[in-house]
Amino acid sequence: MSLLELDKVTVRFGGLTAVEDVDCAVREREIYSIIGPNGAGKTTVFNVITGIYDPSSGQIRFRGRALERAFTWKVVAAAVAIGLATGLAAALLAVNVDALWRATIKRNYAGPGADFSYRAAIHDAWGYWQGALALEPMRGGRWAVRTADGRQTLAYAPSRDEAERTRESLRQLIDVARPGPIRSTTYLEERDGEFVIRNKDDTDDLATFDSAEDRQSALDRYRSLDRAAAARRRNAWLALLGGMVVGAAGTLAVWYRARRTPEVISLAGVARTFQNIRLFQNMSVLENVLVAMDRRLHGGVLRMAIRTPGIRRQEREARAKARELLDFVGLAHREQHLAANLAYGEQRRLEIARALATEPQVILLDEPAAGMNPAESSELNGLIEQIRDRGLAVLLIEHHMSVVMGISDRIAVLEYGTKIAEGTPEQVRTDPKVIAAYLGDEEVS
Amino acid sequence: MSAPRWLDRMPAWPLYLAVLVAFPLLVYPNEVLFRWTGISIGGQLTYIFIYAILALGLNVVVGYTGILHLGIAAFFGIGAYVTGILTVPAYPFGVGFVAALVLSTGAAALAGILLGAPTLRLRGDYVAIVTLGFGEVTRFTLRNLEEITAGTRGLNPVPPPQLPAFLEPPLRLLGITPDWSLDYRLFYFLALGLLLVVIWLLHNLEDSRLGRAWMAIREDELAAACMGINASRVKLSAFALGCGLAGMAGCLYATVLASTAGPDAFDFNRSVLMLCCIILGGLGSLRGTLLGVLLLIGFDNVVAPVLDGFIQASGISSGDNRFLTFSNWKLMIFGLALILMMRFRPEGLLPSRQIEAEMHTPQPLTEETA
Repeated sequence: MSLLELDKVTVRFGGLTAVEDVDCAVREREIYSIIGPNGAGKTTVFNVITGIYDPSSGQIRFRGRALERAFTWKVVAAAVAIGLATGLAAALLAVNVDALWRATIKRNYAGPGADFSYRAAIHDAWGYWQGALALEPMRGGRWAVRTADGRQTLAYAPSRDEAERTRESLRQLIDVARPGPIRSTTYLEERDGEFVIRNKDDTDDLATFDSAEDRQSALDRYRSLDRAAAARRRNAWLALLGGMVVGAAGTLAVWYRARRTPEVISLAGVARTFQNIRLFQNMSVLENVLVAMDRRLHGGVLRMAIRTPGIRRQEREARAKARELLDFVGLAHREQHLAANLAYGEQRRLEIARALATEPQVILLDEPAAGMNPAESSELNGLIEQIRDRGLAVLLIEHHMSVVMGISDRIAVLEYGTKIAEGTPEQVRTDPKVIAAYLGDEEVS
Repeated sequence: MSAPRWLDRMPAWPLYLAVLVAFPLLVYPNEVLFRWTGISIGGQLTYIFIYAILALGLNVVVGYTGILHLGIAAFFGIGAYVTGILTVPAYPFGVGFVAALVLSTGAAALAGILLGAPTLRLRGDYVAIVTLGFGEVTRFTLRNLEEITAGTRGLNPVPPPQLPAFLEPPLRLLGITPDWSLDYRLFYFLALGLLLVVIWLLHNLEDSRLGRAWMAIREDELAAACMGINASRVKLSAFALGCGLAGMAGCLYATVLASTAGPDAFDFNRSVLMLCCIILGGLGSLRGTLLGVLLLIGFDNVVAPVLDGFIQASGISSGDNRFLTFSNWKLMIFGLALILMMRFRPEGLLPSRQIEAEMHTPQPLTEETA
């Protein structure tokens, strides 16, 4: 079975087709080269393999399966959790957190030293949600009956008991005023020129008015209170639902867009170097390699912050391993230098060491010999073969024919984004299509 | 005759630390300075320590990870207000200092995560705009949530921490009155102690897997991703840590000030000032950040008022001549200093250790000297 397989991979950028229907299969422990004129789409192939681009069509398989972040229960859990959090935040905004604070905390706490009961606070939060009426102490021992959000004052009373009674009758009035048929327990009547709202069970009148219009307008006022509370509840529900949907959908969208990122592909065992060297310029050579060993190190932020013995040991081991890799590419003596200060050839070798540090099974080298002199590039040949001997497959883009022809097991030739030939170096060298691509068609007269 | 070799090798920080510890204990220097300048240098140093924690938090985000964060003051404010809400007598929570410190750090970190999770996927400049906007949104939220935050008045009084009883005798032995409002030195040592802990933690993190991942992302996000680093998660961790430290600084600030101050204490100016501190000192460098804070905040809180006092006393300025008040030239001098820095030493006064190491190449960099 092939290690890395490209199945009719096409990459389009707008109207431009950079790579079209490319098939290729890299076997284990194989050096597979991709060659072709400039602009043939070689680097695009690398970018699509390593997840920088998504293929417009076709499939890339590694050990027979597509390299994608799996859809696990964690994604679902994250979507639910973030959805809930967003929904609750939106609902809290919709019910007006400021007024809620006043209703639950401030009204239940008289000041320093006073008792405070969280049960009462929760009870008042429920009352706030229901649109209940609240009592608030005023200056001079008076009490005010207010809506729970404190926006409207309905009545004043000289004492707390009086205020309680006023609140109860107001509550019943609001109940009466609620749209729909008048409740059987209450009724409106006209007595001695006064217009009364009465409660059947109660001997007292709930309220008396001078005219029917006054009574109607009072009823309308109470009704509007009720309506406002209902509207607030509705808005809160809408905000909750909307927030949940937006939060969950956003999480899923992010997951969907990030399911084939370079890091997923790197973790699966595909490493790469870059044509235009992309080292971490202002970090030391050793650190460059250590960064790539990230996946091998464990331990949470806290353990790293206090540097537990376990973390220390892990660091030591990682450093030893990184030094070994630097030694492998011949940079051991440079480990404390900044990557930016290395010579060009050294930077290329450091990129290789860094890619190897991710413990890949296949390594993608994008023009590793670019800018090297013949001596360096023959050294590079040896290095690539050694990498293969470590048990890795190598996918190579290269222009130096001495490198390509000398070490490749198989070669694919791209031109204008399509593969025009594939085979051993010997087959490719003599392929008329390849010769035509590199040297131009023979004029047929 | 040159200094013995062991003296050459000795790192300088124990000396600075010794000075900082000794200065308030000796009493005399502070009093002399107070008589001379009218400012308690020790009291101002406490604020400098607090701003150092804030700047170190910002440095994690801007210096290590390379995310331009223009709203750090918002998280400073969140820390201060969470502490205020949890501790002021007007509210029933009455939480102790340690719990308030932990909770306000956590709340600011959580706010950072909530802001960062959806936005850190954006590229550089957009994140800067988002953080800038968040800073202003937070300020206006703090102002408009009248019932909770008391609007522009701020929450007060924030009570001082409870001093454990067993600490009292040793403190008296050192000549410190165990009363937070009488003796500035309690807050001084509290802030200094927390600052040291933060420095130690960050120093460890700098040289760990996470620290390297932050820097790798700063250097080249795509390459880092290709090396298996989950860029959005690593950036989010830096953001959460940086904002959390800002929240911690905010908690200390409110406790030392005994008030949350008004929402306007946490405006854009504060964010930019902190940014200037770390740019001046050297992005991504612990020592640089500390030096930057010492220079800029010290200039702001100590030098400027002292010079103002001198000008006033010398009688050059008669009354309200604004051009003869030093404070009014403050921003001018900040700006000039930054322009000169950018021109002559863009890496900052004490750049990070890699660049430092490169400038003195023969000396190999080992774990001990880092």
